[in-house]
Amino acid sequence: MMKVRWKCGYLCVIFAALFIVVSGCGAGDSQKVKLRYWNGFTGPDGRTMRRLVNQFNRENPDIFVLMQRMDWSTYYNKLFVAGIGKRAPEVFIIQVYMLERFMRANFIRSIDDLLAKQTEITAEDFPPYLWSRVEKNGKHYGIPLDIHMWGMYYNKKLFREAGIVDEHGEPVPPKNRKEFLDAVRKLTRDLNGDGKPDEWGFVFTWFESNIYTFMLQWGGKFFTPDYSRCIMNCKENVEALQFCVDLIRKYKVAPPPENFDAWLGFRQGKIGLVFDGIYMLQDLRRQEDLDFGGAPLPKLGKYPAAWGSSHIMCLKAGLKGKRLQSAWRFIRFLSEHSLDWAEGGQIPARKKFRETERFRKMTVQWEFAKQIPYIKLLPRTPFISEFLTEFDLAVEKALRGSATPKEALDIATEKVNKVIARYRAMYKEALGGTGE
Amino acid sequence: MNNRKLLYSLSGYLFVLPYLTLFGIFLVLPLFYGLGLSFFRWELASLVPPKFVGLHNYSEALTSPYFLKALWATFRFVVMAVPLTVGSALVVAVWINTVPLKRQYYYRAAYFLPVMISISVAGLLWRWFYNSEFGLFNAYLSLIGLKVPWITDVRLAMKSIVLMTIWWTMGGAMVILLAGLQQIPDHYYEAASIDGANARQRFFYITLPLLRPVLLFVIVMNIIGSFQVFGQTWMITRGGPELSTRVLVQYIYETAFTHYRMGYASAMSWLLFLVIMIFSIIQFRILREKQ
Repeated sequence: MMKVRWKCGYLCVIFAALFIVVSGCGAGDSQKVKLRYWNGFTGPDGRTMRRLVNQFNRENPDIFVLMQRMDWSTYYNKLFVAGIGKRAPEVFIIQVYMLERFMRANFIRSIDDLLAKQTEITAEDFPPYLWSRVEKNGKHYGIPLDIHMWGMYYNKKLFREAGIVDEHGEPVPPKNRKEFLDAVRKLTRDLNGDGKPDEWGFVFTWFESNIYTFMLQWGGKFFTPDYSRCIMNCKENVEALQFCVDLIRKYKVAPPPENFDAWLGFRQGKIGLVFDGIYMLQDLRRQEDLDFGGAPLPKLGKYPAAWGSSHIMCLKAGLKGKRLQSAWRFIRFLSEHSLDWAEGGQIPARKKFRETERFRKMTVQWEFAKQIPYIKLLPRTPFISEFLTEFDLAVEKALRGSATPKEALDIATEKVNKVIARYRAMYKEALGGTGE
Repeated sequence: MNNRKLLYSLSGYLFVLPYLTLFGIFLVLPLFYGLGLSFFRWELASLVPPKFVGLHNYSEALTSPYFLKALWATFRFVVMAVPLTVGSALVVAVWINTVPLKRQYYYRAAYFLPVMISISVAGLLWRWFYNSEFGLFNAYLSLIGLKVPWITDVRLAMKSIVLMTIWWTMGGAMVILLAGLQQIPDHYYEAASIDGANARQRFFYITLPLLRPVLLFVIVMNIIGSFQVFGQTWMITRGGPELSTRVLVQYIYETAFTHYRMGYASAMSWLLFLVIMIFSIIQFRILREKQ
């Protein structure tokens, strides 16, 4: 009996404590506007973003922003389901290639009325190819926070050892196909004489953006301009993919893609150069013994090009009044702090910030940002995830050698065209018109 | 007296009620909602309203190479994982049963430990173990000059997933089997020993027949669980290489939440449900006949 009473006593104490905590929170925050802010910054970029959110909360006592981070792949599911249930967060980030789907689903509030009332953020501040992507039917649906693109990371120590240096002994990153092939050949070395290289010149890290970049440089196209047909098996793409395969099988300067964490190989100093995103910068910086540099991608095909993307800050559809003003203030705060965000391995989307002395001092970002005139975003279609699924599979098959580039891309093209047909039929039936 | 009885049984229902409510709301209701959905075309990401399409989703699934490939991958997993998991669980259980009671606790705990690790942690760990360049396994194997492409070879990837699954789930089956073993009265073995039965005979003529109900329970649960495999492949290979480990649940998940085709995904879920049900019925038949 005694014991039971004691337990009740504990419970009372716990409940009392909970009550105090809960009521305490309520009392203090009653006049604060609470904003939920979702994004997929689960990597080191998340720490940078958290600092920014904390700073905003300090500077704006009348607003409280609660940030929630999720892995990008699960993030969109949550966001979608929340949006359908009318419980979307007030502010959220969408990667530009996913924007089309969300715009189509009416989840995002257009911001033209807000833009008209201020002068800081102007359309001219953004690259045209990016600004046009947040626009649909004459309305704009978000503010690009950054541009993140692919560039080249190279291991300075290995470059010096291979003698790829200028007259001052400084490593020289390759700028075209000839220099690239020359460099990666020199960088591929068999150290223990077993006939197999222990250091590789190059490695394919993330297939998707790697191969996409190669194809763009060859001048490849993925869809007809009206998106009625997929043409990813065009001659240029096949040639580009063949070149990638050749790097592995013919030139033997890249390891066969048996390795999941090719990236780790670069971090460990076993790989001469890689192409990867600017957002990997913080990861490399944590590797203290790695002496690396950043440079624009070499021009391997006919045109300079690099895969790029952007994080777009969006507002929940239907937001108004005080909540809208608070959320908008938060977005403007983030945009004005683009350079703090860039420190963690990003490029500000606004030219104004890219032209500052502070940005010039971020050496790797500065080098990567030189590619801004010619970066290419992923295609603008609502069936982007279907396209990427097929694209990834085709590329994987080709690089692993289980299909020729032509075969793999032919199959993928056929599959995507089926998806397009399904989409078109569905929209045509539901909305009338051409199904566009 | 009658009142009391009523109250008694009522209190029973009251105890079940919270669970039953949750079970109803989160399992039974969505189940039938999903069944309804499977006859509709509903693409979440479009503004197009859902439309009744009859059995179209089912016929699309049954003719889709992706669905069939995922189904095949699932079958391969089940066929390899179930016998190996249950088999090794049985071996370990029998062995633990022979050691003195005090040490049994340690062994049991040791083998059960992996079961308590969440799949995301276990999956991440094994993904590192399997890494062909920097992984633990290949680090040891390199000592004898071997380099195994654990999860990057199309033929090997699923086997590696199975190996990890055995490590991860074997403890659960083992604990149940051990409990079953300990219910077998000692005097059967004593009597058999006196009759001159050797260890092998004792195992096959006493242990195995008396363990049958427990064993079949473990097998049935294992098969059901194995058909629903997802966590391991998702964490370790994401279905790769070349979709060789993309199992049905992953394909359903991707269809629903990457491509947002809810109707089609529901139809595939029901097909998976049918497959599991057929297998379960077969097993329960066997179970009943032998008893």
